[in-house]
Amino acid sequence: MTAPARRRDPLGMACGAAAFAVAAAFAVLVAFLAVEARPVANPGFLLEMPSRMADGAGVGPALAGTLWLALLTAGLAVPVGVGTAVYLEEYAPRTRLAALVGSALASLAGTPPVVYGVAGLALFVRGLGMGPSLLAGGCTLAALALPTVVVASRAAIRSVPQGVRLAAYGLGATRWQVVRGEVLPAAAPGMLAGVCLAFTRTVGAAAPLLVLGAVSFMTFAPRGPADPLTSLPTQIFAWTKRSEQDFAALAAGAGVALLLVLLAMNLAVLAVRRRMEDASR
Amino acid sequence: MSAPPSRTDAVPALAADDLSVSFGPKTALAGVTLSIPRGRVVSIIGPSASGKTTLLRAFNRLNELTPGAVTTGAVRFNGIDLHGGEVDPVEVRRRIGMVFQQATVFPRSVFDNVAFGPRASGYGGDLHELAEEALTAAGLWSEVAEDLDAPALALSSGQQQRLCIARTLALKPEVLLLDEPTSALDPAATARIESSIHALKRDHTIVLATHGRRQAARLSDLTAYLAGGELVEYGPTETLFTNPRDPRTESYLTGRIP
Ligand SMILES: Nc1ncnc2c1ncn2[C@@H]1O[C@H](COP(=O)(O)OP(=O)(O)OP(=O)(O)O)[C@@H](O)[C@H]1O
Ligand SMILES: [Mg+2]
Repeated sequence: MTAPARRRDPLGMACGAAAFAVAAAFAVLVAFLAVEARPVANPGFLLEMPSRMADGAGVGPALAGTLWLALLTAGLAVPVGVGTAVYLEEYAPRTRLAALVGSALASLAGTPPVVYGVAGLALFVRGLGMGPSLLAGGCTLAALALPTVVVASRAAIRSVPQGVRLAAYGLGATRWQVVRGEVLPAAAPGMLAGVCLAFTRTVGAAAPLLVLGAVSFMTFAPRGPADPLTSLPTQIFAWTKRSEQDFAALAAGAGVALLLVLLAMNLAVLAVRRRMEDASR
Repeated sequence: MSAPPSRTDAVPALAADDLSVSFGPKTALAGVTLSIPRGRVVSIIGPSASGKTTLLRAFNRLNELTPGAVTTGAVRFNGIDLHGGEVDPVEVRRRIGMVFQQATVFPRSVFDNVAFGPRASGYGGDLHELAEEALTAAGLWSEVAEDLDAPALALSSGQQQRLCIARTLALKPEVLLLDEPTSALDPAATARIESSIHALKRDHTIVLATHGRRQAARLSDLTAYLAGGELVEYGPTETLFTNPRDPRTESYLTGRIP
């Protein structure tokens, strides 16, 4: 027996090259960041307070702020977003109003983050009197993530084969049993991918938080949603505005910290997804 | 649903009265009137897209799950109007069980598939006993008894089809709607299903949609011939096969219409 002849596959080769280029560009980016951040490469950097002196400054409050924002955003955007998607796909009558809500959400998903900041400033910071707090930031970021979560979740729900629903309804299942027992488990991996995407877009966003009034020189790490709004992206922004070379290293270090946070979040989502897929097999 | 007032033969198990179903602009059933007597096997035959599946789904209110489906006319189960205000479609589907043309097993174990319906309706008895009974009646027990926890998707497609039949039998429905139940089976498995249908006839009313003209002749007491959503002819199987009244029925039976 001979090995199968290698067929020429120009499209496959082009895609492979593109993937390689993306990976290479990413590696170069990370390498530059790491070199830049070398002066601050010590574990204390993650815990220390930022200071007017570059020496010994750290991202402690900003890191804690970003973790709080991630938690608040997930806690608000995931239940509301998944609930909306389930309602629109499985419960709402197929009326023109439902279609309108759907396309409105899709266009919200493409609205620039800074616009959410302006809306959040009016609604959460001033209107609801939250002030420039982590809670106001979490609400704004949740609003930013929501359309993406809804759109991705709807697509995941729609990709569940109709045969599965029919089989369950045909066996006398109630709508809730069908949604809870069949549709959600089958759609969950796709939903998670959407949540992941929304998160990457959200947790790295600086613009809306700057509009809300994020602070960059805190002397304590935030301990709750009512504490002042601070985050890694806004901290990076503040440091890059300073001219001294040392602050560039700090900004790069904060960039690495942000990438680590995103990486950890993606790995966590991947692990959950693995477990879900195993469970459904 | 309350118990029917009387269970004499005068009240058919199922009856369609001027039943029409359309999907958007497409009319799938046009003014069908027929009744299915209790305890009989009734075959629905007809070319592809003639409305067989739509008729079966009208009998347990499954068409309404398709967006854009519009049903007019009446369907009666034991004399009760299925579209009446107090009728719960979930309850209807538990008492009128359906086996689909395309076998769709749940991506779970064999046992969980069979237990699905009983669990959904809060069955209080012994699920294992029920599962064995249903799997035996569907002719699958000897093949899966060893490992009921095996994933259902690992079964062959013929086995999956019998699993779908078992799953419906586990509901202990009064009426069975079988939509091409042997389309994925080899002759041996088909024979087994057919003998199960014979056995099930004792305490079920069965409506069987089939492309197999000989299967209809072998199994059913009555046969309905559908074409283009219309009921062309309905009567005792023997009469319809040997002495059809309508020329369209005759050309279908002699194979001039596929
Ligand atoms: N969900 C649906 N949406 C739109 N049209 C449909 C739908 N289901 C059925 N139809 C249409 O209704 C008509 C009857 O379909 P049906 O499935 O009842 O035919 P059938 O006799 O069961 O065919 P087959 O023998 O191929 O299974 C067809 O023209 C079909 O296109
Ligand atoms: Mg059909």
